Amino acid sequence: MMKSSVYGLLLLLVLMLPPAADFLESIMITHMHMQMPLLVISGIFMAKFFQNRFTGFFSKWNENGVPGILLFSIILVYWSLPRTMDEALTLTSVEVFKFISLPFLGGVPLRDSWPKLSSFWKHALIIFFTILFLALGWLYIWSPVQLCNNYLVIEQITLGWGFISTAFAMVIYLIYSYFMDFSKYE
Amino acid sequence: MFPKNKTALSSLVVLVFGVILFYIGTDGFQAFTAETARVNQLMDEKPKFPDVTLEDNNGKTYSFTEFEGKYVFITFLYTSCGTVCPELEVNMSEVYKRIPEKYIGQDIQFLSISFDPKRDTPKTLETYRKAFGSDGETWRMARIPKQMELESLLDRFGVIVIPDEYGNFAHNSAFYLVNPKGQLVEVMDYTLIEEAAERITEILESGGEE
Repeated sequence: MMKSSVYGLLLLLVLMLPPAADFLESIMITHMHMQMPLLVISGIFMAKFFQNRFTGFFSKWNENGVPGILLFSIILVYWSLPRTMDEALTLTSVEVFKFISLPFLGGVPLRDSWPKLSSFWKHALIIFFTILFLALGWLYIWSPVQLCNNYLVIEQITLGWGFISTAFAMVIYLIYSYFMDFSKYE
Repeated sequence: MFPKNKTALSSLVVLVFGVILFYIGTDGFQAFTAETARVNQLMDEKPKFPDVTLEDNNGKTYSFTEFEGKYVFITFLYTSCGTVCPELEVNMSEVYKRIPEKYIGQDIQFLSISFDPKRDTPKTLETYRKAFGSDGETWRMARIPKQMELESLLDRFGVIVIPDEYGNFAHNSAFYLVNPKGQLVEVMDYTLIEEAAERITEILESGGEE
């Protein structure tokens, strides 16, 4: 079981390598829709290590999964602000915070919270992110101003469509889960 | 203590953390984009216009101190730009028209600065000037031939210019107002013509107190 944590750490280290980081950050959409999710995924992998190490802490303070998922959501919303993405490129402190917050405050609590959440909260979360992504997509595509100083407007529009497609995928999942009874397969 | 209260407490802690995080990250819910943050910072710092040599549409070269004692209304552009710059210059001409005539040339100088000195020769600038109804005297168009000087100015005024693969530049746009002492005092939204004209007239009327 510890193996997954090692892989998670390796993934994080690879993402931190300057050539890898520079490459993913050179394009706006890979910065937000590849690097950031990969950082969260590295945290998801590493979560087992923390869960084993601090079993009591997680079961006590994140018993129903709500605090953890709240933390995950806050971190994700924070990193979808146009400003934080810009500053990650220009300020080292913000960049460092990105590599710490997304895996450890995003990925780890997500892994710990998800199985504990009732299906109501799970759906609420997906609906929340669907609305957020539609709004962000709308903002990035139809905003008349350039939101990020470090990226071209065309990249901003590409990112907007990335958000819309992700939102679309979540809508399909929601419709699917409405008609399907997952409990039959569990 | 009930277990339920514990998660309520940790949720609260997380929420407080979130509010603090957003408060710090957006300068107290003020600036959600780096551009707003940049403008706010510039207004605080009031940087001084560096001593650079300009070459204008008439081919004349002079230092920026030429304008000492006057307010200088500045925009940054490049003439091959097909998107924002024409709009920026049209808006600049609208502001120019709205400033009471007695101030023009006397208390305020209009200046468009190109950040593409390679292509924007005095001749190109001369053609461009005519297209926007600038008189070439009270509203001049100029380039900064020395790359080093150009960069120091762009850097100090927070103008971000990124060349793209088609020979164009992505850049942020605004109206800049430099006071008679050469300090940047206002960065204004270039789409709000009326507001900019009103603000400048106000400053000029107050006799340069601000």
